Amino acid sequence: MDRAPHHPIRRAGRLPAIVLAAAVLGACASAAAAQTVTEVKVERVKPKQEEQPTLRFLKENKDFIRARFDLLREKTRTRQVEGTEIDPRFLTYQKMLGEIQAGRDSMVVANSAQQRLELFTSVTQLGALESRLDVMERLLDEQRERLGVIENDFTGDQETALLVVVTGHPNGTLTGIDLALDDRAPISVPLSTEQCSTLRRGGTVEVFHGFVEPREQIIKLSVASDRWAAGESGYVILYPTRDHLSLLRLDLSGMDAGRGAPSIQASTWLHSAGTPSGER
Amino acid sequence: MRDRTHGLVDARPRPGGIAPVLLMAGGLMLAACVAPVWAAERVPFAARAGLDLAKDAARSWASDAALVYLENDEPLDATGAAARWGYLFYSPTQDKARVYSLRDGKIVVAEYLDMRFEAPPVTGDWIDSRAALEAAERGGGREFREKHAGTLGTMLLMRGAFAEDDPDQTTWTLIYTAPGAPSLFIVVDASEGKVRRTWRG
Repeated sequence: MDRAPHHPIRRAGRLPAIVLAAAVLGACASAAAAQTVTEVKVERVKPKQEEQPTLRFLKENKDFIRARFDLLREKTRTRQVEGTEIDPRFLTYQKMLGEIQAGRDSMVVANSAQQRLELFTSVTQLGALESRLDVMERLLDEQRERLGVIENDFTGDQETALLVVVTGHPNGTLTGIDLALDDRAPISVPLSTEQCSTLRRGGTVEVFHGFVEPREQIIKLSVASDRWAAGESGYVILYPTRDHLSLLRLDLSGMDAGRGAPSIQASTWLHSAGTPSGER
Repeated sequence: MRDRTHGLVDARPRPGGIAPVLLMAGGLMLAACVAPVWAAERVPFAARAGLDLAKDAARSWASDAALVYLENDEPLDATGAAARWGYLFYSPTQDKARVYSLRDGKIVVAEYLDMRFEAPPVTGDWIDSRAALEAAERGGGREFREKHAGTLGTMLLMRGAFAEDDPDQTTWTLIYTAPGAPSLFIVVDASEGKVRRTWRG
């Protein structure tokens, strides 16, 4: 998977974003009900983080170490390197495909035989048809198994990710949301008329979906609205769980200019629903 | 042995003088108060134990990030474990280095390195800090500690910088310090666990 730095997982159009958010929320609504939904506070002031020194030796000796690396880059060395082994899984996929292809060839032969035996009695024809159906069913089973293996290998592992959605529309105007995760460039998400309409009808709009580091993070947010004081920011502390999709919902319906950031109702939970076993 | 440290500095405070004694006394009093809390929160671990979490974090930052350096961020114990380790990753596409410092199974610091550090990645089969310490102790570390009342201050893993004969080699470098004596540097081959170089400086 190619990830751009500070990378939303997808930057599709607004409508797909709404649909995706609705689908995710819908799919996990029942799960979320059973899971722990934690209310999180939106603070007016950025919480302080403990500062701890790290890599002290490296920082104290950076000139020496960089000089050593510079010397290393000037040296040319010839080395015999063995080729990298092919991942055996890829060979297995090819083999499975070959077996399926062989089964398909058998069916083609059966088809030819069928044409040559047009004068067979109806009972014999029914038997041949049944046999063909069996072959087709077997092929489908093999393809299903192969797709299951591929899915397990490439889509089975959830990585640490965060999905931020907004719900509710405050009284007044709402034109966009700005978000900034720790150490990342802020992102501005303008809200279209359609999206505002969705929020008014009780819908959900996705504003961020991306991979994040599994650590405590401070998310800075501000809302472009006449219910939000200009220049004000809100701060939410989150700890995205490793190898899970964490969801953060910002409910703007109670947003009030007088109360500022704390008037946003925020909650978070984990999306832990996996691929239904029946689809594997 | 000649000094080949080229001005290397061990940033950690060395024992010696009255100030450390006073500090130690104060530290003991403080420790008596907070020992239960400290013991509950700060469990020393070997360097490899935090690698998976650090890698996960680094790959969410940059898919081509590779480990280039690690160092103990808190004091080492007799088994080569520390309560906090710092893992440094470098991304060629971003041309940036980012460090993750881990304690108690959590990332407590994540920050960009404020210097250019285009380092080669360490090899994947490096021995853990315990094995590296055992090799260094056999290779002169124990003798140094006993003779000079020294301590092991720093363990760092990297490729190239300290292995003059084979710059491609990933090595552990262990730095022992003692009051009033030059520090002892021991370079251990991180693949085979053999001492490659020692020097004082």
